[in-house]
Amino acid sequence: MTKKLMKGNEAIGEAAIAAGAINYFAYPITPQSEVAEYMTWRLPEVGGVFVQAESEVAVGNMLLGAACTGKRVFTTSSSPGISLMMEAMSYMAGDHLPVVIVNITRGGPGLGGILPAQSDYFQAAKAGGHGDYHAIVLAPSSVQEAVDLMILAFDLADNYRTPVIVIGDGMIGQMMESVEFPAKYREPVNPETKDWPLTGAKGRKARVIKSLFLDPKLLEKNSFDLAAKYKVIKEKEVRCELYKVSDKNRLLIAAYGTMARICQTAIDELEDEGISVGLFRPITLFPFPEKEIFRETAKANIRAVLTVEMSMGQMIEDIDRCIKGKKPLDFYGRTGGIVPTPNEVKDKVRQMLAAK
Amino acid sequence: MSQPVPFRYPVFSRRIIIVVGGFGSGKTEVSVNLTKYLAGIDPIPPAIVDLDLVNPYFRSREAEAEMEAMGIKVIVPRGGNFFADLPILLPEVKGAVESGAGRVILDVGGDSQGARALGSLSDVFPPDGYDMLMVLNSRRPFTGDLAGCCKVMSRIEATAKMRFTGLIANSHMIEETDPEVLWEGYHLAREVGREMNLPLAFLSAKREVLEQMDTTGLNCPILPLTRSMLKPWEKKTGPTGL
Repeated sequence: MTKKLMKGNEAIGEAAIAAGAINYFAYPITPQSEVAEYMTWRLPEVGGVFVQAESEVAVGNMLLGAACTGKRVFTTSSSPGISLMMEAMSYMAGDHLPVVIVNITRGGPGLGGILPAQSDYFQAAKAGGHGDYHAIVLAPSSVQEAVDLMILAFDLADNYRTPVIVIGDGMIGQMMESVEFPAKYREPVNPETKDWPLTGAKGRKARVIKSLFLDPKLLEKNSFDLAAKYKVIKEKEVRCELYKVSDKNRLLIAAYGTMARICQTAIDELEDEGISVGLFRPITLFPFPEKEIFRETAKANIRAVLTVEMSMGQMIEDIDRCIKGKKPLDFYGRTGGIVPTPNEVKDKVRQMLAAK
Repeated sequence: MSQPVPFRYPVFSRRIIIVVGGFGSGKTEVSVNLTKYLAGIDPIPPAIVDLDLVNPYFRSREAEAEMEAMGIKVIVPRGGNFFADLPILLPEVKGAVESGAGRVILDVGGDSQGARALGSLSDVFPPDGYDMLMVLNSRRPFTGDLAGCCKVMSRIEATAKMRFTGLIANSHMIEETDPEVLWEGYHLAREVGREMNLPLAFLSAKREVLEQMDTTGLNCPILPLTRSMLKPWEKKTGPTGL
């Protein structure tokens, strides 16, 4: 298949179609509006449906209803829009419903700005809504990876009957990169092959999907069921990537999304100066690569760990929890839409090594 | 003095050059490079208007400092609005088009939506006093073939209430651009030109790619490009030097 040059937002839309997901509900917001624009002409071509809702609250509830049918459903939005969907998100988790939610993150809090940010880590990785739940969170660092993880997201959502968040900073949505799609697109999932969707109870016992359990024993059971599911997800679905990790590394940088690519440039340039630094890139923010980051930071050659984020420091709390105080941990971040440069990362690394 | 560049550079007789293209066409990179090239040969420094009301990132305003250092007048919203995704059309735009002495290059963002800004200015442009050039990238989903290009261009013309006067062949895959991509774009632009009766104003591509290939047979002016719309991991400082 010929490689195409696509904007991240367009590629995310096309990837959903490649995954057989043709039911899309959304409300435009910068920096992800191109997904909706793309879908307005692309979905009719494949017999799909795009409902532009009156607000993101409505989008959340449309997803909740549509997901009950067992068909693949999804939305795309950006930070403030995602916040508005959090009630429905909690319901969908409680209802064990598969859904894919894309957050092309912008600067916050509040209405914030339209430039790239990673300040929605807590909301995504720690469950932004109420109740004992989690969503699987996938964080691509390139347009191609956004495509691959979108397709994976629908599979994970179906396999585990859970909401899956694909989170990319604004750069993922806005930048252009060459991209390839699978030669063969998936057929839309047939709900009749599943034993839970609401497809009309004619000739069979009616099914009920709900998250309301007034009997505390039943509500606790639902939370036990969710927890059991998350335990399996934590065992089987952890994904991460290492870059230039070796026993020569003096320091390990942890970064995700496009921030990791900026750190890669810094690492390449530091290497030219004779400073060896490795990169640990979580791809799943939930489940977090707990054992993997512990294993890498515990190595004798690693003197310290640096977390770099487009935020005031959010993922660093997971890193801190996982490395269990084995190594000194430091942070560098910019926020509000300002992206740390390779030079800023290099300066921070030099400063940390000089302080030893 | 470096060795002479073998390319035949484009020549423009009209004062107003409107560069139009969908996102991913490379329109902004072309506009910025064209303006810098004209700054080197025109007696009066040119002005560039960032009319990109559609794209929130990677706009010509990001190359502002570099262009201003070359004497180019950069017309963009100021202050917080520099970063806004609002449809801001500055009064200076009309002024530069109507009464400026130097060349004016307009970087018109997005697609037919982006061209709406142009439509609101259409009565300002002197008839036959402007070039309106469509930037084509054959590796983009909407402009990969003749039918796609014609459809997109007709839509833009309808919204802008203006007619194209020429084409720019700018097929690219950013860092993965190779001669094959350039030739593909050249042939497509020729095909579109025949269909829509438009000349190929020039072919533009990364200087490194052009210098490494045999350009015999590329029967059109050529504008070599130096990338200025860089991703954060490709440059040393942040957007606008923040």
